[in-house]
Amino acid sequence: MSQHSPSDLEADLATHLGRSRSVTVAGFADRVVLAVHAYRRRQIIRWSSYASSLAACLVATLVYVSGPSEESLIKQTQSLFRSDEASQLSAILGMADDLAMLTPVVDENFIVVEALEKNEI
Amino acid sequence: MANPNYSPSAEDEEDKRLMALVAQGDDHALRLLVDRHHPRLVGYLKVEVGSQTTAEELAMEVFIRVHRAASRWRPEAKLSTYLIHIAHNLVLNEWRRKSRKPTSTLDSAPEPGDHSHESARQVVELEESFDKAVSQLPPEQRTAIILLVQQDMPYEEIAVAMKAPVSSVKTWIHRARTRLRELLKDHYENQ
Repeated sequence: MSQHSPSDLEADLATHLGRSRSVTVAGFADRVVLAVHAYRRRQIIRWSSYASSLAACLVATLVYVSGPSEESLIKQTQSLFRSDEASQLSAILGMADDLAMLTPVVDENFIVVEALEKNEI
Repeated sequence: MANPNYSPSAEDEEDKRLMALVAQGDDHALRLLVDRHHPRLVGYLKVEVGSQTTAEELAMEVFIRVHRAASRWRPEAKLSTYLIHIAHNLVLNEWRRKSRKPTSTLDSAPEPGDHSHESARQVVELEESFDKAVSQLPPEQRTAIILLVQQDMPYEEIAVAMKAPVSSVKTWIHRARTRLRELLKDHYENQ
């Protein structure tokens, strides 16, 4: 094997590495653009997935939060019903009071005496 | 990624313009950018990883990352330096992933059986020895010497690409040369 001088090493190294300094690949730019498009699609799918998950979480949260409100609404309705019943009752009782006021005052003892006299007991 | 000595040339201005268009999603600008920069990037990666296919895959990843970061990119250094910086990080990841150094056989290495003459055989032997010697260098030394000798990058740009001080780059290159002389002493007279 022939020996080179040490100064040749630098030159040979430059030649050796310089051989692959520039490697042109046909259609490489098209491949990159396709890869970028695929990346964009993956990103869209990923974000859609995130958005769906987020929406699901939001709905679940709303349902959870709306539970006590519904309960309170039922309570309110029930209390309304109850107050309505009370008002109806008071209305009836009020009317009864009115009727009682209209009823002529009767001496209960007089009625008993009159009944006894009729039957001649 | 800032190089204090950086002064943009006409080519850099064109890169800047193309990057602005890429940030807006312009595929044509991306094509132009790739056409301008991929040959040197693939050349660098090919020596680093020792495989044309892997070099192309990594170069593809570099451009996807550049596309992704286009809107955030600030021209504080040459775009080519930025590309090499990303590529260098990917190479380091590749080595970590494989937990070993890349193979030294390049796809473009000539076939031994193709040569009948003695001189041709010696050239092939020397080529193989170079491949092997470069592949045996520690990662920093290898990257630094490749960027200096193959890509003709100045020390300052190598430092930016490797995110290291210039003094470290000079040390790596000095050590790489010393190590290469040791590894290739069969081919070269001792100093």
